[in-house]
Amino acid sequence: MALTQLKYEFSPATPRALPVPAVHFGVVGSGDMEVIIENKDLGGKAVATVVTPVTGFDHVWEMVLRRFMDECQLGNVAISINDNNATPVVVSLRLRQALLEIEG
Amino acid sequence: MSKWQTLQTRSFLESTARQRAQGLVDEGSFTELVGPTERFISPHLPELGEAVEFDDGVVTGIGLLGKHPAIVISQEGRFIGGAVGEVGGAKMVGALKLAQSIYEKLQAENPAEVQARRPIVLISFETGGVRLHEANAGLLAHAEVMDQIQNLRHKVPVVSVVGSKIGCFGGMGFVAAATDVIVMSEFSRIGLTGPEVIEQEMGRAEFDASDRALVFRTTGGKHKYIMGDCNYLVPDSIAAFRQQAIAIAALPMDAIENLRRIGSRSAIERQMQLVAMAAEVSPTDAKDMWKAIGNENPQQLIDANYTDFMAQAKRLTPAA
Repeated sequence: MALTQLKYEFSPATPRALPVPAVHFGVVGSGDMEVIIENKDLGGKAVATVVTPVTGFDHVWEMVLRRFMDECQLGNVAISINDNNATPVVVSLRLRQALLEIEG
Repeated sequence: MSKWQTLQTRSFLESTARQRAQGLVDEGSFTELVGPTERFISPHLPELGEAVEFDDGVVTGIGLLGKHPAIVISQEGRFIGGAVGEVGGAKMVGALKLAQSIYEKLQAENPAEVQARRPIVLISFETGGVRLHEANAGLLAHAEVMDQIQNLRHKVPVVSVVGSKIGCFGGMGFVAAATDVIVMSEFSRIGLTGPEVIEQEMGRAEFDASDRALVFRTTGGKHKYIMGDCNYLVPDSIAAFRQQAIAIAALPMDAIENLRRIGSRSAIERQMQLVAMAAEVSPTDAKDMWKAIGNENPQQLIDANYTDFMAQAKRLTPAA
């Protein structure tokens, strides 16, 4: 019954810092998710933690997160996601919207 | 336009709990307390394999309305229907306690400034009441919130702001009734037992929850305004709710007390008169009551836009 917790690690080629200490975006509605992206000294790496009631999609999460990380090249950040059955498209959108909160 | 200015023009109904909280207070003044980065999640939901949220569905914080510190509690309906659990409830109680301590400090140190600078509490409701997953803790939270509202009586105005999609139902319907002032938009709703639950328990002949027009003329802002269950009806924008909050913050406490619908002998007498009136009219629809109150053409009021409705509607006013 417990929630699934997934952990991923990324090593961006040209890591850049998040310009603010932390950003939060999204609401854990049905088919939706929230994310916190925050600065953390990880020697240039980035880590992502996903908490979700869904099982069996570890590989899909990794692909979606990897594409986002390749694009934004954030380093020394911790990404924390609370998910409630969001589809990959929604996940991608919310991650980009979180960055727009600070950069847009 | 700054982010805050953009928020002002937004529909209150369509905004998130956090946007509402930020937009209700003066520009740049909102500080969130126990925000998402503190990660106070529900301890019960993971045990049940249910998704969690970092703020447990309640945004709490403090800002300013001019010289008045504004303590804001804003519920998020998209997370488990805004249902109140242990953590979210504790955040509500903590915010109300903060209002009390600010008031007491002001009263002790600067009594002459109390009227000009006293705090105000704004609770934006979007909830069906107790979160059933953590029922006992949720119920206890409701009782504690009610207790705190009573502690603030005659000291700090506690304002219900009801402009959300879900509205305010269940135990939180009682909590809203216990506040000093209720502000609504016509698109939001207040009630105790929600429409779906009434239909489930009593049958469709009693209440058809799929009939949106019926639901809104029984629980919606226009009906609550006519019946005197809500004090102010405002258009659906964050700016409109904010303007009303500013006006309420400026009122003396005696005037705030007069806005209460329950909680005094005179208020009880008014309620008893209303019960007697309802018994006499024996309405089969909200429209029957509207008519008895002096609205000749209730259907016209239902169809009317905000401005026309406010110009035409006759109502029972909470203040005697």
